[in-house]
Amino acid sequence: MLAAFVRAFRTPDLRKKLLFTLGIIALFRLGSHVPTPGISYTLVQQCLSAGRAAGGSDQSGFLNLANLFSGGALLQLSVFALGIMPYITASIIIQLLTVVIPRFEALKEEGQSGQSKLTQYTRYLTIGLAILQSATLVTFARNPSSLFGGSCPTIMPDDSMATILIMVLTMTAGTGLIMWFGELITDKGVGNGMSLLIFTSIAAGFPASLWAIKENKGWGTFLGIVLLGIFVIAAVVFVEQSQRRIPVQYAKRMVGRRMYGGTSTYIPLKVNMAGVIPVIFASSLLALPGLIAQFNTRADGNNPGWVTWVQQNLVRGDHPIYMAIYVGLILFFTFFYVSITFNPTEVADNMKKYGGFIPGIRAGRPTAEYLNYVLTRITVPGAIYLALISLIPLVALVLVGANQNFPFGGTSILIIVGVGLETVKQIEAQLQQRHYEGFLR
Amino acid sequence: MDAVRIALQVLLVLSSLVLTLFILLHKGKGGGLSDMFGGGMSTSLGGSSVAERNLDRFTVAVAAVWATAIIGLGLLARFAS
Repeated sequence: MLAAFVRAFRTPDLRKKLLFTLGIIALFRLGSHVPTPGISYTLVQQCLSAGRAAGGSDQSGFLNLANLFSGGALLQLSVFALGIMPYITASIIIQLLTVVIPRFEALKEEGQSGQSKLTQYTRYLTIGLAILQSATLVTFARNPSSLFGGSCPTIMPDDSMATILIMVLTMTAGTGLIMWFGELITDKGVGNGMSLLIFTSIAAGFPASLWAIKENKGWGTFLGIVLLGIFVIAAVVFVEQSQRRIPVQYAKRMVGRRMYGGTSTYIPLKVNMAGVIPVIFASSLLALPGLIAQFNTRADGNNPGWVTWVQQNLVRGDHPIYMAIYVGLILFFTFFYVSITFNPTEVADNMKKYGGFIPGIRAGRPTAEYLNYVLTRITVPGAIYLALISLIPLVALVLVGANQNFPFGGTSILIIVGVGLETVKQIEAQLQQRHYEGFLR
Repeated sequence: MDAVRIALQVLLVLSSLVLTLFILLHKGKGGGLSDMFGGGMSTSLGGSSVAERNLDRFTVAVAAVWATAIIGLGLLARFAS
């Protein structure tokens, strides 16, 4: 394992790629601590510690998620405050629109060129969303008590129109820069840039939340949670790696004097085909009622009935109704997303085109039906597994009194393990090109 | 001191706009959502053209100006008051 690391750094161009990736990540983390012009760093720190002293985990779930994705940069209102969130949102929107808008679907079918067109749309949409979200964030910053909770009079020494405009512009450019960073890593570094940046942000929050548990509960609970975390990580790695291999036999063909095909391969169907996306969908969707209710609260505390109901049942993460809806949404979105990404009919058609078949099953429609059957059956445990993993932080909230960003569970662990595995696999593939031993055996 | 601050702010606004523009001019290299969080298979091919490499250089330069303006403004805010 360590020897493989050393070898990875001995290989000149792989070393260049790794160092490039690390450099970009360092720049990204650095930028997450540079305050936006117009924000007073000292005042923000005061507000943060005041909010923490007040026990401040009373922010809405969506804000929490956004803060998690930006690695704490959001609440510091740094230049990279929005982080990768606008890009994620834009990707989700574009992805969903491919189901709705025929033109987008046609682009998706088109292959490489259509895909790059879609990516271009995602980029434009990202900048648009970045303007919108930075404007929202700056509005919050003018009245910071909603952001930090409690005693926080102001964090902007000067809130004239010009300053606000400059802040919005800066944050938008920062978001664009992050997007470009991600693309640079994808292009010239190792792994997928965007997901590596998300990985960095989440991993950056790990030590702090672990330390918070130690401070609050003492060493006993701390050690217990670390052990539990290692166990959960092992379990997640196990499930992420598991797949069902459907054998595919290709017929031999003679083209001219050469023989083609005749090989036997397999289609890997992963247990968790959908990745973390269902969890992200579910939590962002579930944050909506709380957000709407927040807009409808009256200043005199005399709220409509449904607002009180929503705030009692749907905002707090440890309420049974919340958990039930959360699990339901995750189950639904897992099947939904798998059906978007893997189309059995298409795969069956492609196989037929190149003379492939599954042993014992006719090509064409029976193959599609068989694939669909296997896929549906294998997604059931996958969906249940996703729901269980994402319930961990909610259960921890009840048992240990940790905050929502409990490090070993939910979105964070799925993303960390998923991205880590993916990146290591890429490095390994690069090593294997030169006949070297990899990390995973 | 005010003159420096305003100059830096103007610089920041200009560089922000140009930076956003340059970044949008790049060809997108990300593969969308499924590429990001696993699920599905993807391949990324193709190097960058000369135009793209020049654009890279310009973008880095503008980003440097942008960062300098931000850091300058931050330092001014720290030590001016």
